[in-house]
Amino acid sequence: MNVKSISRHKLIKLTDGVKNKIYTVKKINLPVKILKHLEALGMTPGAEIIVLNKKSSALIAGFRGTRFALGRQIAENIEITEIIKGGV
Amino acid sequence: MTIGFIGNPNSGKTTLFNAYTGANLKVANWPGVTVEKKEGALKYHGRIFKLVDLPGAYSLSSYTLEETVAENYILSGEVDVLINVVDASSLERNLYLTLQLLELGKPLVIALNMMDIVEKRGMEIDLHRLHDILGVPVVPVSALKRRGLDSLIHAAAHHRDETGAKNNKNNNNFEFARKIKPEAKTEFSEFSEFEEKYSVIEAIVGEVLVNREKANLITNKADAILTNKFSGLPAFLLIMALVFFLTFLIGDKIKDYIEIIFENFSEFADEALVNLGINEIVHSLITDGIIAGVGAVLSFLPNIFILFIMLAVLEDSGYMSRVAYVMNGIMTKIGLSGKAFVPMLLGFGCSVPAVMATRSLGSSKDRLRTIIVIPFMSCSAKLPIYILFSGMFFPGYSALAAYSMYLIGFILGIFSAFIFNKIDNRYSIRKHNEENNSLIIELPGYKTPGFRTVFIYVWEKIKDYILRAGTVIFAASVIIWGVMHLGFSGYTNNIAESFGAVLGEKLAVILSPAGLGFWQAGVALIAGFAAKEIVAASFAILFGVANVTSDSGMSMLSAELSAIGFGSLNAYCLMLFSLLYPPCAAALAVIRRESGSWGKLGAVIIFQVGVAWVVSFAVYQIFSLFL
Repeated sequence: MNVKSISRHKLIKLTDGVKNKIYTVKKINLPVKILKHLEALGMTPGAEIIVLNKKSSALIAGFRGTRFALGRQIAENIEITEIIKGGV
Repeated sequence: MTIGFIGNPNSGKTTLFNAYTGANLKVANWPGVTVEKKEGALKYHGRIFKLVDLPGAYSLSSYTLEETVAENYILSGEVDVLINVVDASSLERNLYLTLQLLELGKPLVIALNMMDIVEKRGMEIDLHRLHDILGVPVVPVSALKRRGLDSLIHAAAHHRDETGAKNNKNNNNFEFARKIKPEAKTEFSEFSEFEEKYSVIEAIVGEVLVNREKANLITNKADAILTNKFSGLPAFLLIMALVFFLTFLIGDKIKDYIEIIFENFSEFADEALVNLGINEIVHSLITDGIIAGVGAVLSFLPNIFILFIMLAVLEDSGYMSRVAYVMNGIMTKIGLSGKAFVPMLLGFGCSVPAVMATRSLGSSKDRLRTIIVIPFMSCSAKLPIYILFSGMFFPGYSALAAYSMYLIGFILGIFSAFIFNKIDNRYSIRKHNEENNSLIIELPGYKTPGFRTVFIYVWEKIKDYILRAGTVIFAASVIIWGVMHLGFSGYTNNIAESFGAVLGEKLAVILSPAGLGFWQAGVALIAGFAAKEIVAASFAILFGVANVTSDSGMSMLSAELSAIGFGSLNAYCLMLFSLLYPPCAAALAVIRRESGSWGKLGAVIIFQVGVAWVVSFAVYQIFSLFL
């Protein structure tokens, strides 16, 4: 569960995440208003995130036990990194 | 004593609130804003409690208008105890608001809802530990199955009486962390407030939740089809086709029975008025005016009833927000987010709540563009017009003719939004900030719609429809009857001399190129500004047909219409014009309020009259060549 020990893995965009693989949120490059909204929803740095469904204009991501549909312009500004199995 | 219900959207807050108050609630708007405010009263152990359903909020950080309203109300001091409805199946996200509420120091009781789902998914929550950590009562409830309701109100009343706010006044994230790990120090310094709270939540959830990783299998399976890149859109179109199929065909079957009642009633009234020796004019007013007009509108209740059941099921099952995802691709192309599609879909029920639902959209530009196209989504009040005219002029294909109205309205709506976006992009100085209208919407787990939730939703709409029939439509029926029986020489039986004919003739000149060069059509369409059902009712009154929706009534009216040269192409143009011309007065008032200016309202009206005329004109002129 402790996600701070994971790093040294390259950052990718949420839109490039592979379906059904668990990642952690690293960085969100969005205007403050949207950033705060996402953080209140639980998308804080270190949170686990999983891409459940993808299409060109949007994707469905699961985090903190709930799923959200996120538009491409939002999703491509969220940077994630892979969780190394057994590294925690 | 006032109890406020607060919780995340989709936490079952409104279902829980409804479980206490039933359909007896007072719906108003929050002062100054048009976010629905629901109030109800509950009598428990001889005490009266005022219950207030606060708008859904993920946090008190005022990202949305709903959140601002909720926060202001809590801080206003009007509320004595807060019941925080928490979705136990998504504890982690829901506890964020809980921690914020605890910081405010208001008396708080936690209603842990959806415990049945938690159990079904094999998870367990240690309620005692959760209570220990949070320091406020935690009551497990199931709003849907109405379990734990008494305990919850009891806890709320008690909590206020005995402990007041003193229990949770000093709560802060550090205190919580210490309760979980006594050795914890203030290690939050490098975190933002969000990270701090979520790291506390992670610790709490780790303590109280057993077997947390169980996935929601049903939702996963359903989403594999309903939100799939390829099958998502066809699935949506199929679902909508089913909605309208049931509305038209099943609704019509039930309508047949209602008509028998109406027919008997109008015959009975007719005889009774003759037997009582009532004045001929009053007799005509009652049978040809009121009974014909109000009856025509009321007999469509079964169709309206089924349509609203279907919309309630779509909403309560969790499917509605998926539509936002499915339609996001198309909506992005016209410069809106998939979220804007939800108000459009609600427009199939009624434009008024649909226009209000645009509040969930980020920018005012997006809101305005969505508001302009909502009236093109054919509302339930236009249904009587389609059913009546397609039934008379397109026998055998009536459902198809009516369904085509929905499709045309939908396509024109999307097309207009596209054009507005093009114009906007060309002339706006500042480039539209794409992130601002990008999609962020929660997709709650699918669930079986609750009977009570659907019932209350449908009952509110039906009540409204009947109320409208008894007020606006009643009044309009009297006025229309008056307009066609009164002329410059007083009461007249010669319709050609009536005010209606004189006024209608003027309109007929303008409407003639669009296939509507009949004074009756002009009068009906003008009257339709009061409420759209009146367009159908007007024809019943103008041609003096009392049971217009029965088989005999329809054939009588269609014979009368044929006699004045009104054929199937004219009928189709009338349906088109009714679909596209400006919505009813109630919807226009909401558009004025939500857009914030008379100018914008004027522009909407001119645009819609223009579109209605041009489209009807084109259809009439083109098909006139072939027919």
